[in-house]
Amino acid sequence: MIEPTVLLTILLMAGVTYLTRLGGYLVLRNRTLGARAMAVVEAAPGCVLISVIAPSFVANNPADLAALFITLLAATRLSMLPTVLIGIASSGLLRALLG
Amino acid sequence: MLVAWNTVRRMTIDIQTSLGTTPRDGWRDEFRRGLASCLPILLGVIPGAMVLGAQAAQKGLRLGEVPLMTGLNFAGGSEFAAIQLWTSPPHVAVIVFVTFLVNSRHLLMGAALAPHLQHLPKRKVFPALFLMCDESWALGIADARRRAALGVGPAFSLPYFVGTGACIWLAWVGFTSLGAALGPLLGDVEAYGFNLAFPAIFLVLLRSMWTGFRAARPWLVALVVAALTYLLVPGAWYVAAGALSGLAAAYFLAGDAPMIEPK
Repeated sequence: MIEPTVLLTILLMAGVTYLTRLGGYLVLRNRTLGARAMAVVEAAPGCVLISVIAPSFVANNPADLAALFITLLAATRLSMLPTVLIGIASSGLLRALLG
Repeated sequence: MLVAWNTVRRMTIDIQTSLGTTPRDGWRDEFRRGLASCLPILLGVIPGAMVLGAQAAQKGLRLGEVPLMTGLNFAGGSEFAAIQLWTSPPHVAVIVFVTFLVNSRHLLMGAALAPHLQHLPKRKVFPALFLMCDESWALGIADARRRAALGVGPAFSLPYFVGTGACIWLAWVGFTSLGAALGPLLGDVEAYGFNLAFPAIFLVLLRSMWTGFRAARPWLVALVVAALTYLLVPGAWYVAAGALSGLAAAYFLAGDAPMIEPK
């Protein structure tokens, strides 16, 4: 049996989150954008992605920063799976070695 | 794993029915292509899901409440924030407001996706957007750019997008539940190096969107502002601050950028 406040919190979280998923689409559907607006929309994916991982770039231990640099190099020339494996392996090894 | 794959196969049919399409080979192939391209990403999703489930159990959420939250909300960042703030009983308004803030990036993501969805009716787009998360969205857009470059039309493949989203949804709900069940037995999975799985995924996705340094200047602004905000401001504000500064930079830089980017 779920507590009513827990259920209410979960349902409201789900509702608000789904609205954020629909919102951007509903506002921009059936509109054409000017050159400036297109520049903004084209930059948006990269800006969101890099902001989400920004904390890794200012990690406070050298092992994580070195592993991030190795992963960055891997990402410039390899595909998804090898890059992820190199990222995990380099971070695990460097943490074990450098502490 | 076998059970999971059978569930995925059953979901294929469920989703096809719910999206109002008749099962066609093209739909299935595209859906499977989406599932397959998501598999490396699961290496990043699974440890995070286990950690969230374990934390939720520690905060007093019951086993049934964890999949209810992660299945209906399906947005990891906001769930981590909600669990951090969780009390018994929970502060409903605070948690819902923080959920909105953390997920406000979906507004930008939906806006960026909108031009790709213009060939599709709302009755297909609405349920599909439920599965829009960072990874499915980025894979969907990267795939659309690749297909556009190859001259495949329409560039955006909805079944591919739904396939990536369904794959992550199943893993997210399954492994948050498993984390809640196993709870304290796990210890700290970040110590094994899985903390770099997400940055690795995102860096590869960024590489696939790279069209030259000039076009990437807003990313640099976003990175610097997000990193500074992360260091100086507690909470999850850094995502919104970085993304909005990057967009402001894109807006102002568009003034001096040529209409066609030199290669």
